Amino acid sequence: MGLRAYSFSDAYMLEFDVVVIGSGPGGYVSAIRAAQLGFKTAIIEKYAVMGGTCLNVGCIPSKALLDSSEHYYNAVHHFQEHGIDVAKPKINLKQMIARKSGVVEKMNGGISYLMKKNKIMTFHGLGSFDSSKTVKVTKEDGSSEVLAAKNIIIATGSKPTILPFIPVDKKRIITSTEALKMTEIPKHLIVIGAGVIGAELGSVYARLGAKVSFVEFAEGMIPTMDKTMGKELQKSIAKLGAEFYFSHKVTSAAVKGAEVTVKAQDAAGKEVEIKGDYCLVCIGRRPYTDGLNLAAAGLVADERGRIAVDERTLQTSVPGIYAIGDVVRGAMLAHKAEEEGVFVAEVIAGQKPHINYNLIPGVVYTWPEVASVGKTEQELKTAGIAYKEGSFPFKALGRAVASMDVDGLVKVLADATTDEILGVHMIGARAADMIAEAVVAMEYRASAEDVARMSHAHPTYTEAMKEACLAATSKRALHA
Amino acid sequence: MAIDMKVPAVGESITEVTVATWNKKEGDHVKLDEVLCELESDKATFELPAEAEGILHIVAKEGDVLPIGAVICSIEVGGVQVAVNVADAAPVAAAPVAAVAPVAPVVSVASEAAVSSVPAQVIEVKVPAVGESITEVTVSVWNKKSGDVVKLDEVICELESDKATFELPAEAAGVLEIVAEPGAVVAIGGILAKISVGASVVPAAVVVSDAVAAPVTSAVSVDASYAAGHPSPAAAKILDEKGVSAADVAGTGVGGRITKEDALAADKPASAPAVAVTPAVSAASASVASGSVASGSATVAPERTRREKMSSLRKTVARRLVAVKNETAMLTTFNEVDMKPVMDLRGKYKDKFKEKHGVGLGFMSFFTKAVCVALKEFPSVNAKIDGEEIVYHDYCDISIAVSAPKGLVVPVIRSAEFLSLAGIESEVARLAGKARENKLSLEEMSGGTFTITNGGVFGSMLSTPIINAPQVAILGMHNIVERAVVVDGQVVVRPIMYLALSYDHRIIDGRESVSFLVRVKQLLEDPARLLLDI
Repeated sequence: MGLRAYSFSDAYMLEFDVVVIGSGPGGYVSAIRAAQLGFKTAIIEKYAVMGGTCLNVGCIPSKALLDSSEHYYNAVHHFQEHGIDVAKPKINLKQMIARKSGVVEKMNGGISYLMKKNKIMTFHGLGSFDSSKTVKVTKEDGSSEVLAAKNIIIATGSKPTILPFIPVDKKRIITSTEALKMTEIPKHLIVIGAGVIGAELGSVYARLGAKVSFVEFAEGMIPTMDKTMGKELQKSIAKLGAEFYFSHKVTSAAVKGAEVTVKAQDAAGKEVEIKGDYCLVCIGRRPYTDGLNLAAAGLVADERGRIAVDERTLQTSVPGIYAIGDVVRGAMLAHKAEEEGVFVAEVIAGQKPHINYNLIPGVVYTWPEVASVGKTEQELKTAGIAYKEGSFPFKALGRAVASMDVDGLVKVLADATTDEILGVHMIGARAADMIAEAVVAMEYRASAEDVARMSHAHPTYTEAMKEACLAATSKRALHA
Repeated sequence: MAIDMKVPAVGESITEVTVATWNKKEGDHVKLDEVLCELESDKATFELPAEAEGILHIVAKEGDVLPIGAVICSIEVGGVQVAVNVADAAPVAAAPVAAVAPVAPVVSVASEAAVSSVPAQVIEVKVPAVGESITEVTVSVWNKKSGDVVKLDEVICELESDKATFELPAEAAGVLEIVAEPGAVVAIGGILAKISVGASVVPAAVVVSDAVAAPVTSAVSVDASYAAGHPSPAAAKILDEKGVSAADVAGTGVGGRITKEDALAADKPASAPAVAVTPAVSAASASVASGSVASGSATVAPERTRREKMSSLRKTVARRLVAVKNETAMLTTFNEVDMKPVMDLRGKYKDKFKEKHGVGLGFMSFFTKAVCVALKEFPSVNAKIDGEEIVYHDYCDISIAVSAPKGLVVPVIRSAEFLSLAGIESEVARLAGKARENKLSLEEMSGGTFTITNGGVFGSMLSTPIINAPQVAILGMHNIVERAVVVDGQVVVRPIMYLALSYDHRIIDGRESVSFLVRVKQLLEDPARLLLDI
C-alpha cells in the first residue's frame, strides 16, 4: 500500500466566506465590511497597488492636480489683490505630478493597512472565475492560485470608453489616465466630452495656462446635471479662456507629429476642424469585466458590458455572486460603489440594508465645484411635479466675498405643496462638501423651511444653503 | 356619524386583550350584533359583536394588544355620514379619508367628522387590577416627566403594593401628563396619568388631517407632516430586518418621522425577547437561510433554537405562577388514599348511574364532594387574604384544572357542596367540553375558592401543585397504582393514590392543612361517610 503523493495545490485550496475581485472604493470597502461582520474575506487586485481607478487614476490624483492648479492660478491672479507680492510663479510640472503620485502612494498604503487591520487576505493578480464558487488569481510571474469562495463580489470597475474613430495613442490622443501624468502643459488641449471628467481635467490645464477647447455632443457642459449648473460652470471656465463647441459631433481625430486634428459636425451639419497639441477623450466609461471569465461562473454581461443584478440584493443571476459599483447599473461614482460594497456585505450577513439611489450626490471637482442631489429641474418638469425654486448667489455671501470666491449659487427645488426638498444643486467654493447637508436633509425628508430654520454658522459658505431654502420656502432670503 | 367600538371590560384583572381574528374586512358593511372579531385575553377568547349597523373601519389589526377601553374599530353609520359630508359622497367610503378628500368646499366640517373617528385623544392611565387581593398601590417612581413623549409599552412608572413592586407600561404613545405624584396612594382603577395622543404621534390622525389640509391650505407650515411615517435610513434597515412595515410604526421624530429608536422599539409589544439583533446573530441566521456561509467562522453556527412569541395566556400564567411562589408561604403536605372502596362503588353502579343520569361516574365527583365536606370543617383552607383581612367563603366554588388546547384553564363548579355526585359529574363534563373548544366564558373561570388538579391523568405519581391565587390551597390528585399495603396486619394489594395539598402557610396552619387532607382521605376511603355526613 503506497502513499499517494499530493501536490501542494491539490491538497491546499484557500477557502473564504467572501472573495472580492477588485480593490477600488467599492471592493475594498466591501471587504472591510464583510470582515467586520465576521466573514473570512479575501480581496484580489490586478495591479500592484490597491485602490482601483478612484485612488490611482481617478478621484484622488485628479483632485491633487486640481488643487495644485488652483494654487498656481491664485498665485498668478489673486495674490496681488490679497496683498501678497511674489515673483511671477512658475509651474514645475514634474514636482506637481510627483506630489500627486506621493498622495496616491500614501493612500495605497492606507488601504493595505486597512486590509491587514481587518485580517483580509490580499492577492495581487488577475482574478478570473474558475467556476461559480472558485476564483483563479493569475499573478504577474505567471503562477496562479485558486480560491474557493462561498460568496464572490465582482467590483472590477470601469475603463474609459474608446471609440473606433478616435484612435487613442496615449501620447497625443489621451484618456484621463494619461492626463494625470503629463510631462508638459499642453498649448492647446482639445477635450472631447464636457462631462464631469472632461470639465475637471480640462479646467486643470486651463488654469495651468493651456488653451482648452471643449467639444461636446450635448447642448452644454455636464449635461446630466441641472441645466443651471452647466451654464454657471461654463461661465466660470470661460473666464479661464476656454472655448466651447456644444452640439458638436466628433467624426474623427488624427495625430500628425505633435499636432492633433479633431473634426466635428455642428448642429447644422457643417464640419468644424480644431487643431491642438493634445486631445483628451472623456466620452464616458465602460464597465470593465475583461479577463474575468464570466462564462465560467455562468454569467454574461449585457450589451453595455454591465452585469445584471437583483435590485434588492445586488446578487447576480448566479447565487452567491454579487456585483457592485461601475460594473452594475447606476452612476459611476466612487461613493455609490462604497454604499453598494457595504450593502452587499450586509446582505450576505442576512441584514436588510437600504440604498436610496435618488440621494447619491453627484459632484464635479472643478473650481468652483459643482454638487447636486435629488431631482433636477428638468426631471421635475418631465415628471409633472409642481415645485418651487429658490436660489442664492455666492456673491451675496459674506464669506465668499471675503475669500474672493464669488462664482456660484445654491439652488433648492421644493415640492410646491409640502415644501419637501426634492433637489439641491450648487456650484461654488466647497460645494462638494456642502452637498452633504442636503443629503442629510433629504434622507429625513426635510422641507425647505426646516433647513431654513436651522442655524448655520456665520460667515460660512453653508449660509447659501440656508438662504436658498428660505427663498424656496416663500421667497424670503434675508440677504438677497 | 362614526361609532367607536372599544374593548369592553371583560372581567376582573384583565387589562388588555389581543385581537385574534377579524371576521370582517375594512370597509365591510356590518349589521347590528354581527360578530366583528375575536379577542383573546389571558383567560379566554371572546367575540365582539357590532354595536351598530354601518361601514366598518378597522383600527386595531390582528395581533395588536389593546388595553381595556381602547378603540378597536369604528362603524360609520351610513346615512348620517352621507349627510355630514355632501349629498353625493360615496356611501361605501373605504375610509374616512376617501370620503372626505374630494369634498373640498366642506372640508372644515368633513375634517371634524374624520378626526372625530380617530381614537380618543387623551387616554387616562389607570392603576391596573394587579391581583385580587390588592386594592391600592403607592406610586414609587416616575420614569418620565410631565410633557415627555412616551412610547407604547414604555415603562413610565413604578408602583408598589403590599406584595410587590411593579412597572407600569404606557398604554399608548403620546405626551404624558402626571396626575398622581410619587408617594401618592391610588386605588385600583384610580387615575395615575394622562397620555395625549397628539397628531404628531399617531400616524392615522396625521394622515387624515394631512389629506384634508393639503387641498385647502397653500400655507407651507402644516403641522401634520407629509413625512409622517418616513423612516430614517437606519430605521428603515432595522424595520426591514424585523419585517415590520413602516406603516405600523408610530414615528416620534419631527413631523411623525420614524427614528432609529422607534424602529428598535417597533416590535416590542409583539416579541419582547427577540430584541437581540446583534450582527453576529443575524449573520448566523442569514447563513442558515441562504445556506451560503458556514464552517470556520465563529459567528456562523447552525440554528439549534427556535424563538416563538409567548402567547398572552402563557405570559400571564408565567407571571402569576412566579408571583404566587414569591408572594405566598406555600408548602405541600401529602397523604395516600386507598381507592378500593370508591372503585368498588363505582364498579358496582357506574352503568346504572350512566343510565339514570346520562353521565359517567368518575372519580372527580367523589373528590369534589369530599373536598366540600372537608372545606366546611376547615374554613381557612377555603379562604383568601385581602390586605390585612382574611376572607372566608361560606360556599364551595371548586376550580377544576383542565388541559385545553391553548393551555391550562380552570373552570369553576359553582356551589359544589349542594350538588349531587351526578350534578358534579355533569358540570365537569360540560365545563371540560367547553374548555376543549375554547368556549369557556370568563365568568365560568373566575371566582373559585379552592382548586383540584389531577396530574394523574398524565401519569404523575406525586407532585406539588402551585396555588391558584388568590386561593390559598390546591389539592393534587395523582395516578392510581396497585401497591402492597398492610391492612389489618396483612400485606394486601390495593389501588393507592397519593394526594398532595399545597397551601399558603400564612393563614393555614399545619394542623388544619394536614387534618383537611386526612379528612379527604377518610371520606374517600369510606364513601358512606359522604352520605351520612360523618
